[in-house]
Amino acid sequence: MTPDRHGSAIITFPNDLEVVITREFDAPIALVFDVLTKPEHVSTWGATPPDRMTECSIDLRVGGRYHSTFVTGDATVFSFHGTYLDVEPPVRTVQTWHFNCWPDVEAIEAMELRERDAVTTFTWSLTFDDQAGRDHMKGFDGRQDSLDEMEAILESLLTTRVGGVSES
Amino acid sequence: MARASTTTDVFNAVGDAHRRAILDVLLAGEKSVGAIVGQVSMPQPHVSRHLRVLSEVGLVRCRAEGRHRLYRLAPDQLQPLQDWMSKYEQAINARLDRIEDYLTELQRQGDDSDT
Repeated sequence: MTPDRHGSAIITFPNDLEVVITREFDAPIALVFDVLTKPEHVSTWGATPPDRMTECSIDLRVGGRYHSTFVTGDATVFSFHGTYLDVEPPVRTVQTWHFNCWPDVEAIEAMELRERDAVTTFTWSLTFDDQAGRDHMKGFDGRQDSLDEMEAILESLLTTRVGGVSES
Repeated sequence: MARASTTTDVFNAVGDAHRRAILDVLLAGEKSVGAIVGQVSMPQPHVSRHLRVLSEVGLVRCRAEGRHRLYRLAPDQLQPLQDWMSKYEQAINARLDRIEDYLTELQRQGDDSDT
């Protein structure tokens, strides 16, 4: 029996512009990498009913693009797309990250895997582009409210890529 | 999700790196403005302004002692932030748990990992 790792993700905010999530899986690194990067796998775990993943294209090479689209239970459409900047199977992908609801926000998404003693550690980070962050500087105190930004990002993860875990 | 102004919202209050630095300093205990200024690289007027914001959302409390005003943390006011984080923690965990279940299923099937 492998240990139950449910609920064990570690979420940190190393600085104002970055969120980092770490999680261990009891699976070999090559399999984890495939599950995270191959459309036939991603489309399987990508959305939680009643949400549906209606598009999942991944051209996994430097300069290649990915595009994923989700439709929620109330027919709201969310989509993410970007271009791969670095692809090193089975340890790393780095890609730009665009979300249709925030056309002027750009982030860099990175996925990194490391296997040790048959346990693969998955580190997933999202780093907002400085310029985008600056462009968003407005409102309170003339400063960027990075937590608001973070909240918006996390909100999108919640309603879409995380799979609409909110019950309603 | 719309947010209230800085002075009424703990999220916005801690959305500022300078104010977080002040909170970090106060973790060590009650301090005067002068002592805080000595530990953060900010001029006193800025520190005072940030302390006012932090006081207004209830993250720090202030008392007078002689001619000094002493500030201390009121960490219970961080609860909304913690609640907020825990909601996303659950959601992110749910997604990763789904990946784990899928990996387990694939391995149980002895599936070809390369297809």
